[in-house]
Amino acid sequence: MTALLAGIGAVFEPSVLLCLGTGLVVGMLVGMFPGITATMAVALASGFTMTLEPVQGLAVLLTIYVAANFGDRIPSILINTPGTPASIATTFDGYPMAKNGEAGLALIVSALVSAVGILASMVLFASASVPLAQLALKFGPSEMFAVVILAMTIMISISSSSLTKGLLAGVIGLFIATVGRDPITGDARFTFGIRELNSGLDFIAVIIGLFGIAELFDQLLTHRDHKVQPISALGRWWPTRSEYKRIAKPTVISGIVGLIVGVIPGAGGDIAGLLGWDRAKSASKTRETFGKGNIEGVAASDTASSATLGGSLTTTMALGIPGDSVMAVMIGSMIIWGIQPGPSLFVNRPALVVTITTIMVLATLVTLGINLVRMPMMVKLLDMPKHYIWATILVFCIIGTYATTNNLFTVTVMLVFGVIGVILKRCSIPAGPIVLGLILGPLAEANLRRTLLIDGPAGLINKPISAVLLAFAVIAVVTAIATPILARRRQKAATVQSN
Amino acid sequence: MIEPQKLASTSGGTDVSPGEPAAEPDYSAKPSRTLEIAIAVVALVLSVAALVLSRDIVLRMGGGGIDPKWWPTMLSCCGIALSLVLLLQAFLSTSSHRGDLLAIERRGWTRMIVSLTLSAVYVFAWSRFGYVVPTIIFTGALLWVFGLRSWKGLVIFPVAVAIFIYGLFHLLLRVPL
Repeated sequence: MTALLAGIGAVFEPSVLLCLGTGLVVGMLVGMFPGITATMAVALASGFTMTLEPVQGLAVLLTIYVAANFGDRIPSILINTPGTPASIATTFDGYPMAKNGEAGLALIVSALVSAVGILASMVLFASASVPLAQLALKFGPSEMFAVVILAMTIMISISSSSLTKGLLAGVIGLFIATVGRDPITGDARFTFGIRELNSGLDFIAVIIGLFGIAELFDQLLTHRDHKVQPISALGRWWPTRSEYKRIAKPTVISGIVGLIVGVIPGAGGDIAGLLGWDRAKSASKTRETFGKGNIEGVAASDTASSATLGGSLTTTMALGIPGDSVMAVMIGSMIIWGIQPGPSLFVNRPALVVTITTIMVLATLVTLGINLVRMPMMVKLLDMPKHYIWATILVFCIIGTYATTNNLFTVTVMLVFGVIGVILKRCSIPAGPIVLGLILGPLAEANLRRTLLIDGPAGLINKPISAVLLAFAVIAVVTAIATPILARRRQKAATVQSN
Repeated sequence: MIEPQKLASTSGGTDVSPGEPAAEPDYSAKPSRTLEIAIAVVALVLSVAALVLSRDIVLRMGGGGIDPKWWPTMLSCCGIALSLVLLLQAFLSTSSHRGDLLAIERRGWTRMIVSLTLSAVYVFAWSRFGYVVPTIIFTGALLWVFGLRSWKGLVIFPVAVAIFIYGLFHLLLRVPL
């Protein structure tokens, strides 16, 4: 009870509320500008939240996470361009609705179901994270290693178009994590006599480089001058009673999809949105109008992608395994603040867990309130010229990285990883598994070496939990290999039939 | 199942002017076998280099068994194996797609290389001349490279950004700039 009150009370400090407001503004803007993802924004914000108290910093980062989830629907609906990958499925019905003169209605429905999705997922977080953490507390080195391998294989199999490149990215991340002192003996590895590398590569610098600078450089490489006119006739805003009834069923179906996808490490709102939209379409009586401006489609895609937030948070906080790429960045920041996400967090700092829940719920409600107010200003902001956005991002990446260590060497590391990141991106090698490998590398190495030293290789499969988790990891890889082969066969068969 | 054309239409840069048909030039990056082979060869070379460096790690106490060299060595070997698979795929695969990637624009290289060079110069200038002046010049130069030609924008925006950052980081967050 004391932890509950202390956790909630911590959020209502004026400084924390100010941070929450800052995160809200940043998150909404980030979501609205296509090309700036929530991961990039949280990575960038990590730079200047380092000097804040943990609760203040969490208020900024978590609110950006929530608010970006609302903001990214706006360009999807108004200009048919997803603000972040999580709102890809919103374009399917949101933009056709806008073209039919129902942009306002699509925006309001999107905001309402997004809030429903996040709040439902926070119920999942509040109820499932403690039992999951208690189970994880019983894990020994072999189980921890198996969890890491499972998380990495799932993320790789989901996030990569090529499994081989995804695996290679994971290996690159694990290898980068070996730079610095050995976790058991303290021997220097790959430091090349550079003093700054003794404690390893600065995590935030690598992340800002891979997600921020690489994304910016890719935009600089590929940008073409388009004249995009956002839809300005927004039409009516509030749904009628019959429309509320229509969106109830897709909201429930896709909400369940989102909750399940959210718990899977590495799977984020983009996958959930597409799956939720697809499932709701299958169950709809008006499925033929999906993709042509059906309000149920907007409700389904946005509920599903928003409902992943709590699941992601559950995996992150209870197991210490990032639920999605934003959570991967968040773990990095939390470690710097001296907070180690994982099962022990619930034992050592129960009040902080309550604080995180309160921040997420409060951020959702406040962002919903802002979204329900008519804001023609939002449409105007979509017209902001790219050169201002690009210059601001680059300057903030540099200053934000410098702020983490007050050392220009860190900025150099960030720029180097920006170049590496854009090269990898152009080679279709995903950054997500690299970051996951970087975070989980020390955990994987230390636990594997301990297991092998204590029990030998048999220790990995003798224990039931680790054996099951490793079996799931193998299934994830086999499924990722088999799915495209089966799809190709089906396509061939369909072509033969049609001929 | 999700309709393939829906997924195809979600790739980056699906800007469509309202009220107009969605027909626009295809800017997606084209698959290239040569590029895939180059990626695999570079990955192979780097993995071999990583293996050599891993074996060269100097240990304070005697090595052997599961020592600090073991994990990076294993990762390097995985890298070599995966690079060989990539190479095989590059030779054997009939088609390769490049996901959501857009083709590089003609002026793209100039924009990126100049931005990177300016950033490197900025980091150097910051260490020599302090924060304020280099930041204003750097931001203005970036805006110019990115296509802004209004002198008001080139002056007011960089000054505003420098002041904002100074206030936020130096005064509020106590980061010595």
